[in-house]
Amino acid sequence: MKPRAAGYQYSPYGDRTQTLRQIDRYNASFTRVPASPLIPRPVTLSEQTGPIELPRRWNAGKLALSRAVENGPRAVGQLIRVSGRVTDEDGSPAAGVVMEIWQANAAGKYVHAMDDHIAPLDPNFVGQGRLVTDEDGRYEVFTVKPGAYPVLYSGWWWRPPHIHFSILGQSWMNRFITQIFFPGEPLNETDLLLNGVPSHDVRERLIFEHGDTVMGDLSYINYRRDFVLRGHRRTPELA
Amino acid sequence: MKLVVSPCNTTGPFFPREFSDGNEDLTRRDGARARGEHIILAGRVLELGAKPTWNMVLEVWQADTNGIFRHPLDPRFAEVDPGFWGWGRARTDPDGWYRFRTVLPGGDQRIPHINCAVLGIGLTRRLVTTIFFTDAPDPVFDCVPGPELRQRLIARRDPSLNADGAAGYRFDVILRGEGETPFFVD
Ligand SMILES: [Fe+3]
Repeated sequence: MKPRAAGYQYSPYGDRTQTLRQIDRYNASFTRVPASPLIPRPVTLSEQTGPIELPRRWNAGKLALSRAVENGPRAVGQLIRVSGRVTDEDGSPAAGVVMEIWQANAAGKYVHAMDDHIAPLDPNFVGQGRLVTDEDGRYEVFTVKPGAYPVLYSGWWWRPPHIHFSILGQSWMNRFITQIFFPGEPLNETDLLLNGVPSHDVRERLIFEHGDTVMGDLSYINYRRDFVLRGHRRTPELA
Repeated sequence: MKLVVSPCNTTGPFFPREFSDGNEDLTRRDGARARGEHIILAGRVLELGAKPTWNMVLEVWQADTNGIFRHPLDPRFAEVDPGFWGWGRARTDPDGWYRFRTVLPGGDQRIPHINCAVLGIGLTRRLVTTIFFTDAPDPVFDCVPGPELRQRLIARRDPSLNADGAAGYRFDVILRGEGETPFFVD
């Protein structure tokens, strides 16, 4: 048998560490989540591989969301720096992977055709972009703290401030999407999606850590969130 | 050391359109065109009651016409088609339609197939399935119990979807309800 390149091993996402698939009063989860049980299947080369060339395809690099154009006027809102590290389950850095970020502006409005909320757009805030993690798996983005926004059809539900993250990892198996909330927000107590996580410990991992405040030419507050992607390295099979 | 994986959550309704637009065509890369048989893969994403979904996101990953993945884990990576990305993303329109231009995947380890994930409002985690083109032995296809369910994972030739020399194939994703698409443990 010839030596094979080191691959990755993947275990199915456990319900204990994840958001529930169906959440009381989150109506769409009852019309879109399949009623039939999911089918177990093996992980072959097809699922172990994935789109690692996306950073080049999209020419993604560093990202700043706090201005619409470089050196242009600052977006309205509280300037924040969001940063952290992306690793696999064994702690090795997810280096050079694409992270997509999107969020509402400080008034709670998205630049999106489906957002019917009557709140002002900010011409200096685009609210979305891509970056690439560095060799150590680290990311950093300057942005403004998003506002809360109402889920209009619900009649009661206001989403607390949150930032959406999408990570395209090294394989089809560790593609990752989540949203991260801010600590201490009263609306966190009632949010269906944050509270769709049964365990308190897991819920904490959907909330930024409040970091230090910085004063200077650029004054901002640090928020931190690390991400752990599924998968750990398998030792190479030798001849 | 084993760290605990982070919790996933929904993309919500406001996944930026700019993140999808332009990624529906897998057959152009660095000015080259993909080799092999070009196809249009299109269909509708429906929720309970056969209602169309709007702005659901579909992601696909597949081998090139020779069955090679654009990834260094593939032993034949060096020979991968320079004109083929292997990855694409599309979103559904208000009638629930998505549409990709890609190539019919090749290979002899697995039967031709396209990995497909659905993301969007209502889904706190992505849903994964695999699109096949024929009914033949395959380590993943064989896990689907019974011929009736397996048939639901086969994309059908649909000449009404033909475009620009590419043969049309129809694959509907029924998230829930009658004719529900089989999804795999993720
Ligand atoms: Fe949101």
